[in-house]
Amino acid sequence: MTAEAQQMIEHIVRLIRKPGLTIDENTPLVSSGLIDSMALVDLLLKIEDLTHMRIPPGKVQPKDMDTVAKMFATAQRVGKTRK
Amino acid sequence: MTGSVTQFSNLIAALAAAPGNRPFVTAWIDEDESEIVTFAEFRRRARSQAKVLLEHGMTVGDRVIIIMPQSISAMTTFVGAMMLGAVPAFLAYPNFKVEASKYRSGLAGVTANLKAKVVVIDEEFPDDMLGHVSLGEEATLLRSSDGKGPGAEQELPDLEIHAESLAFIQHSAGTTGLQKGVALTHAAVLSQIEHLAHVLKIDGVTDRVYSWLPLYHDMGLIACFMLPMVCHVPLVMQSPLDWVMHPETMLQIISAHKCTLAWMPNFAFQFVPRRAAPNRWAQYDLSSARALINCSEPVRSSSMQEFQNTFSAIGLKSGVLQSSYAMAENVFAVTQSDINRPSGPARIWADGQRFRNAHLVVPVAEGTPGAVCLTSSGRVLPGNEVRIVSDSGDLLADGHVGEIRIKSDCLFTGYYNRPDLTAKAIVDGWYSTGDLGFTLEDELYVIGRKKDLLIVGGENFYPQDIEEIVAAHPAIHDGRVVAMGVYNPDLGTEDIVVVAEVERKELLTNTVEIEREIRNTVVEGIGVAVRTIFLKPPKWIVKSTAGKPARSSTREKLLKEHPELNADSLNLES
Repeated sequence: MTAEAQQMIEHIVRLIRKPGLTIDENTPLVSSGLIDSMALVDLLLKIEDLTHMRIPPGKVQPKDMDTVAKMFATAQRVGKTRK
Repeated sequence: MTGSVTQFSNLIAALAAAPGNRPFVTAWIDEDESEIVTFAEFRRRARSQAKVLLEHGMTVGDRVIIIMPQSISAMTTFVGAMMLGAVPAFLAYPNFKVEASKYRSGLAGVTANLKAKVVVIDEEFPDDMLGHVSLGEEATLLRSSDGKGPGAEQELPDLEIHAESLAFIQHSAGTTGLQKGVALTHAAVLSQIEHLAHVLKIDGVTDRVYSWLPLYHDMGLIACFMLPMVCHVPLVMQSPLDWVMHPETMLQIISAHKCTLAWMPNFAFQFVPRRAAPNRWAQYDLSSARALINCSEPVRSSSMQEFQNTFSAIGLKSGVLQSSYAMAENVFAVTQSDINRPSGPARIWADGQRFRNAHLVVPVAEGTPGAVCLTSSGRVLPGNEVRIVSDSGDLLADGHVGEIRIKSDCLFTGYYNRPDLTAKAIVDGWYSTGDLGFTLEDELYVIGRKKDLLIVGGENFYPQDIEEIVAAHPAIHDGRVVAMGVYNPDLGTEDIVVVAEVERKELLTNTVEIEREIRNTVVEGIGVAVRTIFLKPPKWIVKSTAGKPARSSTREKLLKEHPELNADSLNLES
């Protein structure tokens, strides 16, 4: 796992605040009800921060953010270099 | 637009009168991509969609269900159906979180209730969400095209659409199990728009509406589609999902397109300031906005204040933030705050104890310890009447909290195909809203609900739908579940909180797995996440004399035992 993915996992664990819960790169977050759609913006801002990319609106769906692995893949696929 | 909206006999006539070269819908994807259609092009595409529906046998009075992503195609299909005198209804696009079989059974239920002839879906509609869905004997499934194709002006049958005939059906809650289709006539919709346009001083030449609201919701459908269409106002729209994942785009779009009007549920008024990166605020300018209206969730003064304080630095004028009380059953708005009032909606501080214990408003000075601050939803629209009644049906005076009942010239004719529900809801022409509130100095204050309903981010959910799913878990005692909405001041909306009894006390030693499974099944069932689950030993939930869980007493008990929920029984702000 990359250092960025590890940082993302730590960020999510802080966000969820559920004692005893562990997550990895492939843990479903949105489809399992751990994260609701109003928290997705926090994850997008964090992934933009970690990848130094900008993820344009209209190119990303909640399902693209369901796991940490998918978040990084989404950034690779649709991310634009920051202007 | 000049003159009265009611000069039109139906919504299609209002669209036909719009200046052809004026932009109507701008579908905004991002700063590099958007699509603009003029009123003339919108009409042309709608006629093209009508022609397709006609070829599938649609005729006057037939119901058509539209399940498409937020798009110009969805809107032209809706209007195309109305051009044939057919009755369209938007349903929410399937949420990827919802389990396919649950979606299919919900869709089959709504289709059967509406006796729909055609269900229109888009090209990308996921196949597994359809599977072997039974749409009834009559209904056919149609994959939509965008209606952009070339071709001559479409010839449509010459038909007269009567003002009193049904225009469309809108649904009042997000969960499918208990969906009630609110049937509305052209006359009712036009009356509503006439009143709203009058109090908001709508001007098709100078106004421009911004919206991220879903079209299956009354605020999205009426305020941000029908009103612009009838009053010939340009609309800049983005998808709700794009907005919720990039809330900053609201600032970007209003700035770039100089939008003047928008409607949003309460939570958005603090979601945007908290989730838009402050280092980019300086790029935006909100000075074009003349009314941003807080609607469809209880209005919180703190959320409004946060938005105002944050964005006054980028041009947001005082008095722009306004409020409204609306519901699908009245087409949309019942009240609207006075947009000429420079300080925004009226607010009062009331003695907290007397308010909670006696349901009585005793005004006190601002900042008095223990006082509750209440924000008005505005004045009753022309053509509308409001009554506050006690549990025994007696009329209540100003300052007394009771159920809000309404009567108006834009009230729905009934729940489609459900005379039983209609008879319960409308008595002697008065609709029982199930909401609690009071009147004071000609203003209506809405404080909560009498009926069991959760409002999360402006969307309505029935607790029964959630309770049924949770109770099906093998570790949970059947029928011993209460789902409730608890106000979350960080989000400005309600969180879904579930309290459930386990079958045996020993199960409480490992709750992580049970909670995980419950979360999963709720999200698969209704597509919304539960914030907190409290698992309790047997016999914890308070029962009514009939042996069923007593919601309000259970809620009181939970809030007392868990002060960390930081809420009071009425979800009030202090």
